[in-house]
Amino acid sequence: MGARPGRAQRSRLVLIAAIVIALAALPFVYSDAYLLKVLSFVGINVIIVAGLSLLFGYAGQVSLGHAAFYGIGAYTSGVLAVRFGWPWIACVAAAVVVSAIGGLILAVPTLRLKGHYLAMATLAFGQIAYVAFVEAKGITGGIDGLSGIPSPSLGPLELRSAESNYLLVWFFVGVALLLAGNIVALRPGRALRALHASEAGAQACGIDVVRTKVQVFVVSASLAGLAGSLFAHLVGFISPSSFTLVLSIELVAMVVLGGMGSLAGAALGAVVLTLIPNLDAVVPGMSPRAVELLQDWNADIFGVILIVVMLFMPGGLAAGAGRLAGWVRRRRPAPSEAEA
Amino acid sequence: MGVDAEVTGSELLQFIIAGLKNGSIYALVALGFTIVYASTKAINFAQGEFYMFGGMFAVFFLSGLGMPLALAALVSVITVTAVGLGFDRVAIRPRRDAGPLTLIIITIGGSMVFQSFARHAFGPDERPLPVFTAGPSIDFFGAAIERQTLWIWALTAVAVVALTILYTRTKLGRAMRACMENREAARLMGIDTNRVVTISFGLAAGLGALGGLVVTPLTQTAFNVGPSMGVKGFAAAILGGLGNPLAAVAGGITLGLLESLSIGFLSSTYKDVIALAVLLAVLVLRPEGLFSRASREKM
Repeated sequence: MGARPGRAQRSRLVLIAAIVIALAALPFVYSDAYLLKVLSFVGINVIIVAGLSLLFGYAGQVSLGHAAFYGIGAYTSGVLAVRFGWPWIACVAAAVVVSAIGGLILAVPTLRLKGHYLAMATLAFGQIAYVAFVEAKGITGGIDGLSGIPSPSLGPLELRSAESNYLLVWFFVGVALLLAGNIVALRPGRALRALHASEAGAQACGIDVVRTKVQVFVVSASLAGLAGSLFAHLVGFISPSSFTLVLSIELVAMVVLGGMGSLAGAALGAVVLTLIPNLDAVVPGMSPRAVELLQDWNADIFGVILIVVMLFMPGGLAAGAGRLAGWVRRRRPAPSEAEA
Repeated sequence: MGVDAEVTGSELLQFIIAGLKNGSIYALVALGFTIVYASTKAINFAQGEFYMFGGMFAVFFLSGLGMPLALAALVSVITVTAVGLGFDRVAIRPRRDAGPLTLIIITIGGSMVFQSFARHAFGPDERPLPVFTAGPSIDFFGAAIERQTLWIWALTAVAVVALTILYTRTKLGRAMRACMENREAARLMGIDTNRVVTISFGLAAGLGALGGLVVTPLTQTAFNVGPSMGVKGFAAAILGGLGNPLAAVAGGITLGLLESLSIGFLSSTYKDVIALAVLLAVLVLRPEGLFSRASREKM
């Protein structure tokens, strides 16, 4: 907490503006198709993690089933486009709505339960969804997947290139982060933080605990659905193997690494952990052998991160960055004191 | 399975036998969940990996190190018990009082690490284990019982009896039951609750390993069998009532029978969904379980 919140807020806005400009300018400055593709996947994960972070950090709930909502969004979008020829924007809207309904169906009965029960319920939901993706062959194409999903298009404008897809994904990242940021900053966010601190206390203050949790869960499910829809149209092919428990756990790891109480931290966690198995996209001269090793040890990296962060820095990268900033701020104005 | 039953009666009997067989395994895994929950009030998401380790280590000791089968099985259970003790010591104890969310995340991390370790160390393939005693199936009123199934029942029974003796006849067991009732009060009475939690993890790991290695001759095993068995074991534990060992056994048997009979009367396509559906239904309708009188823990 700085003594001059006005200045802190201003430097924060400058930082956000700089990031937005850098992200928007990238494809015009350095247009490497592989890098842009990887960054598009990073963006897709940031969208899911934004919702998961709300649920996690602000409502104190963990979901081990977000791959299911991601998959529901992807399949809704893909099936409507391939089998019914819906235009892209309608597919996206349908994906968001259907995954929101899925979230509502799961949330209403289970969010009355405490943390560990919800985790198991979402895990079971995720497994059921996976089985459904595999077994509903007539609709989803089963284990062989669904191919031929068209690229995103708005009227006659077809977004086929890596640059346009990248810009599209990051536009939605901006929308998702704005939405999530507003939920955090305004009344629902305060209700959520109260919830996390003490459910009974929040209830005593007149917060409808269950209702707030259900709302957050539905928002996070629909963000995952949005991400799924983007993924389906970007890749053109989806199969059940993209929507497994492993992905759900990786998403949780991103939030944990970034910091459970921080939206920006969670986004950073998603960036870091999505880049690790694709590090050759950002580090030019990397040997294929090193990339292979990273991918082989990816699950270990995620597992170790979950444990180590919880053991040694439960606030994640966000808390670490906060501490670093505080340390710098303390040092700067009084260099003479720092000698002591 | 494998036998042509002529009458519906013996077919039914066959399904009941299969249900009791799988149910025993679920019971062993469920006991692991319930023992850890009783002492920590947390769900150990790595429980399924102990089951996986049981089979994989037994395979390794048998075919990798050339131990005789009985010794390989014993050493596997001991090794996995040690893994459970070590897991608590290294990853759980430092943050034990940090709340269920933290422990959930740590055990999920553990689950991923254990699973990847098994893949690196033992490879990605399915691994078999020979049956404990060779020979034809035993005819039981027209239904067939595989000899390995008898081993499953016998070893489950031994484990349950041993656990009962531990709980009712030993000082350690009394300490564990005291922690189950109220950890704070137990600590105030001079019980070393840290030790109780560590031993709970060891017991949970050993029971899971036993389940994993005794069923491997029938099903084979692989590095990735843990999570789905974990979910089933948890479904069994919560079906019975979390925190109560006998209820966990009852829940395991009930789940096994439910699963097997619905495969018999419906279809085997959705075999794995049944446990999940049971899990969701119990969570929603009766989170305190069928066989437990524990109070409802929710808002």
